[in-house]
Amino acid sequence: MTLPLSVRGLSVPNPRGRAILTVDELDIPAGSLVGVRGPSGAGKSTLLYALAGLWSGAKGAVRWGETEILALSDARRTAFRADHFGMIFQDFLLFEELSAAGNAGLVSLFRRRRDRAGVTKRARQGLARLGLTDTPRAVASFSGGERQRVAVARALAHDPHVLLADEPTASLHREAADALIDDMVKLVRDSGKTLIAVSHDLALLDRMDRVVSVIDGRVDCDVEVRA
Amino acid sequence: MIRDGWDGLPVLTQELIICGALLLPLVVIAALLTRGYAPFRLTRAILRRFLWANVMFVLLIAVSVGMGIGLIAQERGLRQGMAHAADKFDMVVSAPGSELTMMLAAVFLQPSNVGLLDGYAYNEIAEHENVEIAAPIAFGDSFGDAPVIGTTAEFVTYLTDGALEGRLWEATDEAVAGAAVGLAVGDSFTPSHGIGDSAEEHGHDGVGFRVVGQMPRTGTPWDRAILIPVEAVWEVHGLANGHAPEAGDRIGPPFDAKFFPGTPAVIVRASALWANYALRNEFTRDSEMMAFFPGSVLANLYRIMGDVRQAMSLMSIVTQILVAASVLLGLFILTRLFQRQVAMLRALGAPRRFVMAVVWLYGATLLTVGTLLGVAFGFAAAAALSRIVTQRTDILVTASLGWSEVHLALAFLSATCVLALIPALALLRQPIVANLRS
Repeated sequence: MTLPLSVRGLSVPNPRGRAILTVDELDIPAGSLVGVRGPSGAGKSTLLYALAGLWSGAKGAVRWGETEILALSDARRTAFRADHFGMIFQDFLLFEELSAAGNAGLVSLFRRRRDRAGVTKRARQGLARLGLTDTPRAVASFSGGERQRVAVARALAHDPHVLLADEPTASLHREAADALIDDMVKLVRDSGKTLIAVSHDLALLDRMDRVVSVIDGRVDCDVEVRA
Repeated sequence: MIRDGWDGLPVLTQELIICGALLLPLVVIAALLTRGYAPFRLTRAILRRFLWANVMFVLLIAVSVGMGIGLIAQERGLRQGMAHAADKFDMVVSAPGSELTMMLAAVFLQPSNVGLLDGYAYNEIAEHENVEIAAPIAFGDSFGDAPVIGTTAEFVTYLTDGALEGRLWEATDEAVAGAAVGLAVGDSFTPSHGIGDSAEEHGHDGVGFRVVGQMPRTGTPWDRAILIPVEAVWEVHGLANGHAPEAGDRIGPPFDAKFFPGTPAVIVRASALWANYALRNEFTRDSEMMAFFPGSVLANLYRIMGDVRQAMSLMSIVTQILVAASVLLGLFILTRLFQRQVAMLRALGAPRRFVMAVVWLYGATLLTVGTLLGVAFGFAAAAALSRIVTQRTDILVTASLGWSEVHLALAFLSATCVLALIPALALLRQPIVANLRS
């Protein structure tokens, strides 16, 4: 099952009710790599979280495949995220006391018993493909680059259709960022997943199929990067 | 019918059922929250992350639970110790007066000025067909902290169940010392007239006693007493010695009423249990003498003190409620420490019930460890207090963990674990996106 994205008339309000992001129309075919750029505070991350169904109060239509995510109840929306999305955050958000394998296989803890072994196995394979072999070590002793690799392995462990990344290279030095971009893009392309990455990092945006700009709370222009 | 069925159960079964019922909410919550998930690894990670905060929190719970439990255990220990001290004293006959004063004097060796029973009264008691032992008790002298008590050899045998190191006295200058007196067989001493601060140190100069026997430890104030023949007490005070001159050096009953100077109390042991009530009625006569059961006097005392105990229990419960409120507040603060992780879990698609399970297990673990540690603290505190009380009063107080303490601890644990759902729920109400960005 692939999940093309179709957004129509999306409006995300702040707690006082004023719209902080509006998207009239946005379509992303399944399996494409899309960058989201824009000035700080313009609403890039808001767009990412709204697409993940994390903004309560968002209006409009966010359709992933046949599923209108904003119309789902909180529990169903959470379950949809668990099944279809992998998420990567700027500052990794790992459990410091868990090992790399423990963090990468985190989502197995709330999956059905029969699915757990598969998730754990994929988490270990993901870590290996990302060059992390010392998986029993607690991530507290890992470098930033290594941590973000663990986060990528975690995002992919349950074999999601879509990877949502919020500034995945912002906390890394150049070398580590470039290495991560290479590995992440390769993994996503090889598995035919959709990647939507919010970033200021031109090295990352250059590797995307398309780049969407968000300026002053509006998805302003849609640039095709690759044919 | 349910009542009959319940009453028919063995005590242990009843107690275990109560424990099970108290733990039921905890088990039900744990089962409902964790069913189908594996939250324990994450809970362990959170516990390790805030290790010192968690240790402090556990100690706080342990101290408060320990105080509640220690108080109850100590109170019961003291009550049992006093009852044990009165075990050997089925009935006391004395001149009319306060039963409590007389009991404190005769059983707990806290002498007061009391009236005396004469020889005729004593002989009537001693010769009664249902009386097995009638021991006169004469007090008023001391050696150091140890009261010197005049009585009969028969009573010493009864008090020690025959287990005596050395032998009983055979002359009026021989004595048997309690286990805690500090006098060994072969030591000599001169008693002072009076007891405590008012004792006249040289009141009985020239009078010497030699210790020929030592009683084993009984866990009663009698451990600190020195027992001498009652005749010796009378003689030391220049009185007749209870026997006619022609009786020679006789020690012990029977006594001649005409030469019997009087005794403040007679400890009576009936030949059969059933005879006790009849004897009490027989020996209770207006303005002549009174008979009472020290056990009943103690029971009355506890009944009066029962109100105090209830007040103490209430205070203990109020304290526990306050502690539970603090625990709740503490959990609110602690759970705030990992609200970003919770937001991340939610963003990754963790169901609310899973997140609840992780956070609640965290709180429940702290509460469980704190409560268990608190039970140990309480037991240790009660044991330390018991040693102090035993040292000061010679009433053997033993701290033991009873079912009421277990129930209190389990009730506290169960109630606080239910309350621990509130911080977990509150954490789930936090906006995910705002916490991801914080």
